[in-house]
Amino acid sequence: MKNRGKSDLKLAWVLLFPSVFLVLLLVAYPMISNIKISFFDLPINPRLDATFVGLKNYTDILTDVEFIKSLGITVLYMILAVAGSTALGLAVAIFFNRPFKFRKAARSLIILSYVTPSISLVFAWKYMFNNGYGVINHLGVDVFHLFDKAPLWFDNPVSSFILVVLFAIWRYFPYAFISFLAILQTVDSSLYEAAEIDGASTWEKFKNVTIPAIMPVLITIITLRSIWLFYMFTDVYLLTNKVNIIGIYLYETAFAFNDLGKAASISVILFIILSIVIIASRKRVKFNGNG
Amino acid sequence: MASSKKNKAARKIGFYTGLIALLVVSLFPFFIMLMTSFKNSKEAVATDPTFFPKDWTFQHYLDIFNPDIFPFLAYFKNSLTVALTAALLSVLIGIFGAYALSKLNFIGKTTINASFYTVYMLSGILLVVPLFKIISGLGLYDTKTALIITMIVQTLPTSIFMLKSYFDTIPDDLEEAAMIDGLNRVQIIFYIIIPLALSGIISVFVYSFMVAWNDYLFASIFLSDSVNFTLPIGLNALFSTPDYIWGRMMAASLITALPVVAMYAISEHFIKGNMTEGGVKG
Repeated sequence: MKNRGKSDLKLAWVLLFPSVFLVLLLVAYPMISNIKISFFDLPINPRLDATFVGLKNYTDILTDVEFIKSLGITVLYMILAVAGSTALGLAVAIFFNRPFKFRKAARSLIILSYVTPSISLVFAWKYMFNNGYGVINHLGVDVFHLFDKAPLWFDNPVSSFILVVLFAIWRYFPYAFISFLAILQTVDSSLYEAAEIDGASTWEKFKNVTIPAIMPVLITIITLRSIWLFYMFTDVYLLTNKVNIIGIYLYETAFAFNDLGKAASISVILFIILSIVIIASRKRVKFNGNG
Repeated sequence: MASSKKNKAARKIGFYTGLIALLVVSLFPFFIMLMTSFKNSKEAVATDPTFFPKDWTFQHYLDIFNPDIFPFLAYFKNSLTVALTAALLSVLIGIFGAYALSKLNFIGKTTINASFYTVYMLSGILLVVPLFKIISGLGLYDTKTALIITMIVQTLPTSIFMLKSYFDTIPDDLEEAAMIDGLNRVQIIFYIIIPLALSGIISVFVYSFMVAWNDYLFASIFLSDSVNFTLPIGLNALFSTPDYIWGRMMAASLITALPVVAMYAISEHFIKGNMTEGGVKG
């Protein structure tokens, strides 16, 4: 089958045509029109005219304190949530990497938060963290005395930020957990036994056996999760209106402040950032569909 | 001997304590959701919250299935239409694309692979502005079709990559034998590739369904008439209306989660190994 290259070309294009067509029409073309739109002052209303404004959108954005602030919050959110969910996922995977009763059932239950739609989870969290009748405040103040007065979770930027980070860690750690568990199960246990004979401590075993074994998965998880959290919109938007991450900033510029041109210029700036990350990560991330 | 036995027992207790703590953290919001869905409206907002309902009520479940009281069923139907159609088409289109990338040799293969990889990483939020323009331009604003097409594209690169990795494991010899028997490439896809990669195809379907079912972003910019609302946008729109009753919303949230969770449970049962495939983008 190796020498059939020429005769495959036609069939290959027939088979790939729908995919390529859709991706060109609804990803590549929009990406390019983002660049075009970004030079215009374009209101949402199609009856209103677009005005060419040159680089004004870009200079506006790059000198906007809110944009810079939002970028900072996003990076902080991304770092904390990626670190938290990856570390927790790894810890739980190591914890699970031994035979025990109910292992399969427990694994399925832990995955629940990852597979459940955001809207359902967000309602549960909003209810639990409600200032008046939320069970978290009740537990924190009356039962465990963790704080004197419960923070008004959704009413100020700091506690809202803590909340969205906790939510992301809680929701996405199972993804890291499953990936790590899969790779850990392929690690030859004789490596650990050999390390034990050499008198290695738990930490040394972790550092010298576990970490090198999981390295490819670790890099992939960190890269992909960072990208996805950097562009997070839904979870944070539905949970609170006090944390203006970049996805929300873009969305509101377009659909609340009615300025598509400015929003497009944000997309272009973010795309440039993404391209740099992808080019830098291409060689390191082994992509085989196991995101 | 006795002390090592004791040690072992202590370690076992420690392990199961840890496991239970982990499960409590993971499942607590689900527990709260479930219990609140059985509480009456007054108890749900009592300042001294209860873990279990004092008076169990099933009224909220009856209410969400009653179209005169709550539009849940309409939203559910819309979500189902969008997610099922998008997932089916994404898998079907993905199968052909993945087959070409996995089994055929042709010029441009590497480039296409690399572009799909880039698209996979691209987030929908970067495309909202031009997609909004394109969808309006095509006259598809406020239609489920707009959402279906967008969801297909959102999931297609992942579908192709996942399917390709399944197809790669099917040996070429099988195809060569089938060709000698007189099957052409398209027949091979249907008679050999699809049956052999069925578990992979199911997991790709589940992944695509889940992404479409979960989407809030595109539903919120493409849909304006509540007749077309899917669950995420529909339920969120109810959040600040008088229809908003916690018990009812919790019942709705649970039923919203049900299809995806059930699919996962079934597909996990089907699929050997694990389901690390595909991440939730968002």
